[in-house]
Amino acid sequence: MEEPEKTSSVSKRRMAWILGTLFAIAIVMGPGPGIYLVNPDPYESVARLILGMPVVYVWTAFWFLCQAVVVVLAYRKLWKEDE
Amino acid sequence: MNGAIFAAAANEETLSRIAGFVLVGYLLVLIVLGVVGWMRSRATEEDFYLAGRGQGFLVTVMTIMATFFSSAAILGIPGNVYKDGVAFVLFAMNLPVAGVCIYLVGSRIRRIGRRRGYVTQGDMISDYYGDSFGMRGLVALIGFLYVLPYVVMQIKAGGYLAQGLFPEAGGIRLFGRDLGMFELGATALSIVTMVYVLIGGMRSVAWTDVLQGCLLLGGMLLAAVATIVTLGGPSGYFSKVSELPPEAMSLPGPSGTWTPWKLMTVCLFASVGSLVQPGQWIRLYAARDDRTLKRSSLVFAIVLPSCFLFGIMLVALAGRAIYPPEVTRDGIFPHPHVGEFDQIVIVMIKEQLPALLGTAGLILVSLILVAVLAASMSTADSNLHALSAVFTRDLYDRFLRPRSSQRERAWVSRVVIVLATLLALGLVTGGHRNEDFAPLRMIADLMFAAIAFSCQLLPATFDMLFFRKGTKAGVMSGMVAGILVVFLFTPLPAVLLGDSSVVDSLADATGLLKSLFDIGFCAVVVNVIVFVAVSRFTRPLEKQDRDAFARDISPHRSE
Repeated sequence: MEEPEKTSSVSKRRMAWILGTLFAIAIVMGPGPGIYLVNPDPYESVARLILGMPVVYVWTAFWFLCQAVVVVLAYRKLWKEDE
Repeated sequence: MNGAIFAAAANEETLSRIAGFVLVGYLLVLIVLGVVGWMRSRATEEDFYLAGRGQGFLVTVMTIMATFFSSAAILGIPGNVYKDGVAFVLFAMNLPVAGVCIYLVGSRIRRIGRRRGYVTQGDMISDYYGDSFGMRGLVALIGFLYVLPYVVMQIKAGGYLAQGLFPEAGGIRLFGRDLGMFELGATALSIVTMVYVLIGGMRSVAWTDVLQGCLLLGGMLLAAVATIVTLGGPSGYFSKVSELPPEAMSLPGPSGTWTPWKLMTVCLFASVGSLVQPGQWIRLYAARDDRTLKRSSLVFAIVLPSCFLFGIMLVALAGRAIYPPEVTRDGIFPHPHVGEFDQIVIVMIKEQLPALLGTAGLILVSLILVAVLAASMSTADSNLHALSAVFTRDLYDRFLRPRSSQRERAWVSRVVIVLATLLALGLVTGGHRNEDFAPLRMIADLMFAAIAFSCQLLPATFDMLFFRKGTKAGVMSGMVAGILVVFLFTPLPAVLLGDSSVVDSLADATGLLKSLFDIGFCAVVVNVIVFVAVSRFTRPLEKQDRDAFARDISPHRSE
């Protein structure tokens, strides 16, 4: 009876690590130095767009969606309530 | 040409009239909610401060969001997007961090608060590290340093709103002083907020927050939808935004402020710092159970950033394209038609909506402007209420008049609310008359200074909840060091020391750090170093006390 509980606890811990890491990556990539990967040169003569939208805006929305997915998964699978 | 001018003037007059009706209706509903809250309340301190610790999901999530959302959300943050373009849009990513912390930090605070009967932050910190006047005084000081600028911001927003809504209305003369629309709006907001906090306590504050939260969430999204429709749909909108100059489409933005390191530290520290401020901490205690906070956490982390990213920030971006600020060697200045950066949302919706939708547009504008008012009042009320709790519970009851009755303490808390409101109102009207009064110039600047003070509770909070390694001397010296560092970033050294080479060097150093990182982050780094170093060389807390604290935080214990 204890074995499945132990397995579940280990898999939950692993999931917590994975989700925590993903959330941290989203912060580093979104508002953090990761933005340098897409940040346009401020002195460019023409602004860079994706699907007609500013690239920094699209980048922000993408990493926010990643964070939102992490939060939903944590809510459904990890977060406990008082017993 | 004359026809257009007359039409605009007629629109202005109709808007003022409609907005006047909507505003009066809204303020009446608030007062009614205040009275109903008072009638439903019990005459105990726990009820006045925590609404009996029984707040359910809807009230909890709305009051946390409405308290988090201040005038900065609808005026200050769009003001920064208007000034610095797309770079500041990344600021919205602080909100999922705060959302996650509502569960991770908040549920622990709630559990131990309920089990040990805490009401304020000072109750918990003093219970864990050891009670003393110094400890409670420091925590109260941090609370005060957070609350005052925040209340000032909200009152200031009331002034801006009145100016925007009734530009043609003349002021009045009161007690020998001429009061313009700014002063009248600021005074009206202060008085109505003060009244319903005074009569109803936490229950009224939370109930009004539900109404205000709905209004401001709706207002943020509605403003964006209206702006996009006005500009001809999403393609028309983004086509307009694509006209922005390249420096407004990239980091660090035209003012050169928003480097990625600065944005990242702001996102990490502004979010958590805002969650450990006195008003939010009390809301965590007031939640009914973990499930309430868990669901609140999810909704907060997803709904709030969406309202920013897909809502109000879009209005400010369009505003930047339509009314481009003037970029000169001396700095960036708002378009003359906009007046001040913080006014961009008001100008945008007032100009664009009525032109497109006529009278329906005017009604929409009124509703959105009431949402601005709601954002301001919901934060001002929570902060005033929290400040009264901190002063009465942590200082008056413990050290000034330990044998005071509940009735006396209730009156003291009301006096604190009145005095804090008057002080904040005085700062706002004084700052409005004196344009050189630098600290009150821009709403978002005030917000960051206030949050930086609040951040100084983070090392103690995380130590109590997760590590339990620090000592009383360590936590107190860390807080003192952190507060002093934040002060170094404010104009206070220049005011105290005047013009000197020391002040110049300090300004250079803090200016450099400020350009690289969030102020709260810089101060927390110093706070943590001092906290760890002093804790290392002072007597640790008793192990059985730390273990008992850990047990009371754990979810595996019946309440």
